Amino acid sequence: MSEAAKTLSPEFKEALVELLFQLADDDFFFAYRGSEWLGLAPHIEEDVASSSISQDSMGHATMFYTLLEELGLGKADDLAHARSAHERKNSILVERLNGPGHYMEDAQYDWAYAVVRNCFYTQAKKVKIDSLKQSAYGPLAEVAVKVNMELYYHLLHWKTWFVQLLSTTEEAKARMMQAMDKVMSDFDDVFSLGHHAEQMKQFGLIEEESVLKEKWTVALARIFESLDLEIPRKVNPQSQNGRNGEHTKELEDALSTLGEVYNLDPVSPW
Amino acid sequence: MENNKKTFYQEYEVFSKRTPSSAFQHQFSLLAPNAEMALIMAQENFMRREPVADIWVVNRLDIRALAPEEKQILNRLDNKDYRTTKGYGYLKKKWRHYEQKMLDEKEILSWAGGKDK
Repeated sequence: MSEAAKTLSPEFKEALVELLFQLADDDFFFAYRGSEWLGLAPHIEEDVASSSISQDSMGHATMFYTLLEELGLGKADDLAHARSAHERKNSILVERLNGPGHYMEDAQYDWAYAVVRNCFYTQAKKVKIDSLKQSAYGPLAEVAVKVNMELYYHLLHWKTWFVQLLSTTEEAKARMMQAMDKVMSDFDDVFSLGHHAEQMKQFGLIEEESVLKEKWTVALARIFESLDLEIPRKVNPQSQNGRNGEHTKELEDALSTLGEVYNLDPVSPW
Repeated sequence: MENNKKTFYQEYEVFSKRTPSSAFQHQFSLLAPNAEMALIMAQENFMRREPVADIWVVNRLDIRALAPEEKQILNRLDNKDYRTTKGYGYLKKKWRHYEQKMLDEKEILSWAGGKDK
């Protein structure tokens, strides 16, 4: 356990652990879904570029899992691979499939969905990371500063795709609008902080949900204004909240695939 | 339409420099539909492992290059020695040559001969 972790009050630590699991699991599955696109992206340059972003994001997840390891929660590898679906604190959005089919065969992934999900998620991540730079937990604030260095490019990348696909052909625009509806129907819990939201705010770990959501909306509004479009509004509230361990079958399937090798022999150093 | 399709992706030449004060160097080319895309591809495709201070992307179509037959303008005779400055490095050797000559046997004998007279 690190020096910083030893002096924390139990309530503070409980809220902190909860927040770290949300951040770690979010980036873990976001990166995993991104990695499934390897070899399938629209052209070779984008394949390399987006895969590199996925690797960066997995690196961010690793930093958050490592903070949990330092708090005595267990090994980072186990936290990433060996926790079951109901223990996961990621948002539903990042666990969603890329599209029908399997990445090894018959993949009919939807690039419009990827662009919208990645753009909206990365903007949300940027808002959270900016807030975490002032977090009351020093080691988390330090990680936020590091993650932020790579986020500028990630956001620029997905915004560029987003704006360009929405300003080309009618077909591209129609597909993007459809993808936006799908992404927005899963967006409720992206800014949810779960059961410990109140404590997180009270301890100064991160700003409250409504503040983060508002900053995200303002940032997106700038993009939508430039395109002369309205920000899509959510209609139906989401029935599940990933922050509370409620997930879809898509997460269970993802877990069994990405943990396949690890679970063969968890004590083996791969 | 067919023609549009063929030119949707264009070739971009990518230049970068390692430090703010170094010169731009041509690195590679890539395919992209426009300059913005070319820029975000260039960064992650080729410069994710090394420090880079700046990047340029240039559409290949904007480069006026030499056509094969125009390469004749590069032809020249190999008789331009007089135009190439080689510095004064050779002077040392030349000086040594004369120094050596000054002290060879013939020279010394010629001094003796001079005395006889």
